[in-house]
Amino acid sequence: MKLLTAEQSMEMCVRCGRCRDVCPTLDITGREADGPRGRVLMARSLLRGEIAVDEEIEHQLNRCMLCSACEDVCPVGVQVPEIVMAGKRKIQAEKQERGQERLWEKRLRNLVFERILPHQKRLQFVGHLLWLYQKSGLQWLTRKLGILKLFPESMRQMEAVLPDIPSPSERRPLPEFVQNKQGTTHGNETGAKTGRKRVAMFRGCIMDVMFRKTNLNSIHLLAESGFDVVTPDEQVCCGALHNHNGKRETTIELAKKNIEVFEQLDVDYIVSNAGGCGAMLKEYAELFRDDPEWLERAKTFCSKVRDISELIVQEGQLPKASGRGERVTYQPSCHLQYVMKVKDAPQKILQQVDQIEFVPLPESKLCCGSAGIYNLLQPEMANDVLDKKMTNVRKTQSDVIITANPGCLLQMKAGLYREGLTEQVQAMHIVDFLTESKSPATDHSADAKTSSSA
Amino acid sequence: MFDSSIIPRLEEVVGKDRVLVRKTDMMTYSYDASFATQLEPKEPDVVVIPLSTEEVSQCTRLANEYKVPLYPRGAATGQTGGAVPIQGGIVMDLSKMNNILEIDHRNLQVIIEPGVVQADLNEALKAYQLFFPPDPGSAKMCTVGGMVSNNSSGLRAIKYGVTRQYVLGMEIVLPTGDVIVTGGQKSRALKSVSGYDLAHLMIGSEGTLGIVTRLRLKVLPLPKTRGLVLCAFDNLEDAGEAVQLVYRSGIIPSAIEIMDKYAIRAANKMLPELNLHEGEALLLFEVDGIKEVVSLQVKTISDAVSQYTNFVQFSDDPVECQNLWQARQVVGAAVGNLKPGGFRVYGGEDICVPFSRLPEALRRIQEIADSYNIICGIYGHVGDGNLHTAPVINMNNKTEIENAKKMIDDIHHLAIELEGTTTAEHGVGIVRAKYMDIEHGPAMELMRRIKKTVDPNNILNPGKMALPI
Ligand SMILES: Cc1cc2nc3c(=O)[nH]c(=O)nc-3n(C[C@H](O)[C@H](O)[C@H](O)COP(=O)(O)OP(=O)(O)OC[C@H]3O[C@@H](n4cnc5c(N)ncnc54)[C@H](O)[C@@H]3O)c2cc1C
Repeated sequence: MKLLTAEQSMEMCVRCGRCRDVCPTLDITGREADGPRGRVLMARSLLRGEIAVDEEIEHQLNRCMLCSACEDVCPVGVQVPEIVMAGKRKIQAEKQERGQERLWEKRLRNLVFERILPHQKRLQFVGHLLWLYQKSGLQWLTRKLGILKLFPESMRQMEAVLPDIPSPSERRPLPEFVQNKQGTTHGNETGAKTGRKRVAMFRGCIMDVMFRKTNLNSIHLLAESGFDVVTPDEQVCCGALHNHNGKRETTIELAKKNIEVFEQLDVDYIVSNAGGCGAMLKEYAELFRDDPEWLERAKTFCSKVRDISELIVQEGQLPKASGRGERVTYQPSCHLQYVMKVKDAPQKILQQVDQIEFVPLPESKLCCGSAGIYNLLQPEMANDVLDKKMTNVRKTQSDVIITANPGCLLQMKAGLYREGLTEQVQAMHIVDFLTESKSPATDHSADAKTSSSA
Repeated sequence: MFDSSIIPRLEEVVGKDRVLVRKTDMMTYSYDASFATQLEPKEPDVVVIPLSTEEVSQCTRLANEYKVPLYPRGAATGQTGGAVPIQGGIVMDLSKMNNILEIDHRNLQVIIEPGVVQADLNEALKAYQLFFPPDPGSAKMCTVGGMVSNNSSGLRAIKYGVTRQYVLGMEIVLPTGDVIVTGGQKSRALKSVSGYDLAHLMIGSEGTLGIVTRLRLKVLPLPKTRGLVLCAFDNLEDAGEAVQLVYRSGIIPSAIEIMDKYAIRAANKMLPELNLHEGEALLLFEVDGIKEVVSLQVKTISDAVSQYTNFVQFSDDPVECQNLWQARQVVGAAVGNLKPGGFRVYGGEDICVPFSRLPEALRRIQEIADSYNIICGIYGHVGDGNLHTAPVINMNNKTEIENAKKMIDDIHHLAIELEGTTTAEHGVGIVRAKYMDIEHGPAMELMRRIKKTVDPNNILNPGKMALPI
C-alpha cells in the first residue's frame, strides 16, 4: 500500500518538474497546464475551494489521460491521477447539486457503470447485440449508407476497428479448470521452477466480451507454461472504469466481491492479461484504508496479482515459439508499466521467440491515449497523441505492434486505421501473438486482423 | 499597467493556439521549483510559446514597443523564481524550441535549440560515444537554455566544470528584438579570443540580458566505465582529511559527495537495505575513464581513506556501483521522510564555502536548524564546497514556515561570513537578490549599468538579481 493518501501526497509536490518529460499531453502542447505539476496545482486549488467549479477547470482536468507515468517517476510519490480524479469527483458532485449535470449523461453513466459493467451476464448480452450488428448486415448497411458520418470522428474510428465479436455460442463460460500441460516432470535445469503453481485467471468484463479468444489463449498459454489454471465464473468487473469515473462505492462493492471469490480458491497467483485491470486489482488495498478487516484481506489479494507476462517470466517456462521473420515492436500499457511496475517482462518474452526481429519503439514511455471516453471528451488531444505514436511506429518499420491491454490494442488499431496502415501493420495482444507463434501451422490466432476489411 | 492590446499582436506572430490567456494558464505559469513561489505565486498576464528565433524576436520587439515585461522560461525547474513573472506581463515558454539541429561529432560540438532537455541531449549523443558534461540534479527535466542562463553545474563539476565551459557560441535575441550571434557568426572553432566574449556575459545572466535561441556547445568523449568508493566517518574532520589525502595521491575524482548524519538517516529510512553506517558523515568518491585506470583509482582511493575509517566499500562493477550510488540518488527525496508529512524546502539550498571550512559550515548549519527547532539533512559536493541544505517542515504549520524563512536567511549570511557565496549553481533570481549588494559591493553598480545599456526599457526579466524593477 502507498505511504500517503492521495490528499496527503497532494501537499508534497515541490514542483521539481521531474514529471515533465513523461507526460503525453505536455509533450504535445508544452503548456504547463497540460502537465502534471499544473494539474496538481489546479486540482489542489479546486479541492481547497480556492477556485470555483466551472467549465474551464473541468475541461483542463479532463485533459489528463490518467496514465500514471508522472506518479511513477515522482521522487516524493505525488499521486497525480488520484488527485485529478478527486478534483473530477468534486466537479461532478457540485454539478449534480446544482442540477447542471446533463440528464442523458447521467442516465448513460448510470446505465453503463451501475447496470451493465458490474453484471457479466448483461454485458454478454450487449456483446450479443454487437455481434448481431456486425453479422446481420446492419454494419455493412450503416457503412454503405454513410450513417456513421453523423457521428464524431473518434466514434467512427472506434466503430471501424472493433474486433469481430465471437458469436454467443462461442462465448460460453470459460473452462473452470485447465491442468498444466507440462506434466509433473517439467522443470528447467535448476529445478527451481518445477513446482506446479495453481493460478486463477482474471477475465475482465469488456475483455471477456470483445477479446474472448485472448482470454482462452491466455488460459492455454498459462497451462502450457506450467500452471494449473482455474477461472471462477462468479468473478466480476475489476472496477477500474468506475474508479476513474468517480463511482467509488460501486468500485468498493466490486472489489469486495472479487476478493471473496478469489479467497476461496487456494491459488498462488491471480493473473490478469489486461494492464488496466491488473493495476486496479493491485491497488485494491487503497480502497480499504479505513476498513481494517477488509484491508488485510485486500492486501493478501493484492500480493497475489500478477500480469501474465510477468508471471511467465518469473515462474513459468514459455513453450517453444517461433515467428516468421517479422519485425515486431511493443507499446507498453501504462497501467502495466507504471502502476503494476511490470517494465520489461513483455520484451523479455518476445525476445524468447525465435525468428522475429524485435525493435524497440521510440518514446514508448508516452501513453498512447488509450481508447474509451477520452477520445470522445478530448478528440483533438487524443488524435495528436495518437498521430505522434504512429509516427514512431512507422519509424520502427514493424510488421506487428504488440500491446498488453485491450484499451491500448484498440487504440493502436485506431491509429493504424487513421494512418491507412491496416494492411501493412498488425496490432496484436501479446498473448495472441505468442499463441500464434507457438503453433504457426494451425492458426490459433485470435482476431489478428481488424474488421475494417469489410 | 498591462496593455492588453498587445495580445492580438502576439497572436498575429505565433497564432492563437500558442498565446495563452486562460485563468488556468495564468495559475500554472506562476511558479518554478522555488519555495518562495510555492508560498507566493506570481501570475503573468499572457503566455507565449514560440517555435523559432523569428517568433522570439518579433514577440520581444512587441514587448519592447508596448513596454511590457517579458520573462524567458525553460522548464521552470529553477529554485530561485528566475522564470516567474513578478511584475505580470509576458511569460515566454521556450521549452517547445527543443530540436537538436546538428551533432557535429567530428568537431566535438552540437548545435541545439534552447528547449532541449539535458538528458535528451545526452541520450542523442550516446550513439556517438560523446556527452555534454554539466550535470545538474535536474538533468532529466531542465532545459539547456535554462542551464546556460543559470550557468548550472552538478556533482561532476569538480572534474568537468560548469556549463560556461561548454558554450562555444550562441544566438541571442536582445531586449530590443535584434538578433546577434556570439563566438563568431560562422565559426566552428573550439577556441577563440576574438573580441569581447559576449557569450560569457550572457551566460549566468538569468534571462536579464537576452533570450538564448540557439546554442553551439562543446561535447566530450563519453567515459567508458566508472568506479565508486563509499566510506563513513564518525568524525567530520576526518572526512575532510581523507579528501585531502586523496588529492595528494594525484587523483581528480569525477565526483566527491558528502551526506551528513541526517541525510544518512533519511536514506536508511527510505531504503533500509542500504544499511549505511550512521556516523557524522558519509563520503562517496566517483572516478571514471577506461576500465583499468578506474580499477586502479578505486584501489588507491580506498587505501587512502582507510587511514581514517574502517567503513569502506568500493567497486568498479556497474551493477554494484549502481547499488552504492543509490544512497546519493535517493537522498534528495528521502530527506522529506525525516518527519511525518514532511515537506522538503528548497531554500538556502546552494551555499558554497571554502573547502577548509566545510566541517565548520556543516556544524553551524545544524546549530541554526536546532535554534529554530527544524530538522534538516545536508548533502552536497565536497569537491567544491557546495552544500545542499534541506530543511523539512510541515506546510500547514505557519510557525514552521516562518522559522524556515529565518533559517534560510541565517544560512545565507553564514555563507558570506565563512568567505563563501550564497549560490554555487542555482542562481539568484528573486530569492537571493537581497544578498547581492553585500556580496558584490560596488561591482553591483556596474552590473546595473550593463543591464541599462543592453535593456534600456527594462523589458527582460525585471526585478531579478537585484537589478531594477
Ligand atoms: C530537484 C532539483 C535539482 C536541481 N539540481 C541542480 C543542480 O544540481 N545544479 C544546478 O545548477 N541547478 C540545479 N537545479 C536548478 C535548476 O534545475 C537549474 O538551474 C536549471 O538549469 C534550470 O533550467 P530550466 O530550464 O528549468 O530553467 P528555468 O527555471 O525555466 O529558468 C531559469 C532561468 O533561466 C532563464 N531562462 C530560461 N531559458 C532561457 C532562455 N532560453 N534564454 C534566456 N533565459 C532563459 C529564466 O528566465 C530564469 O531566469 C535543480 C532543480 C531541482 C528542482
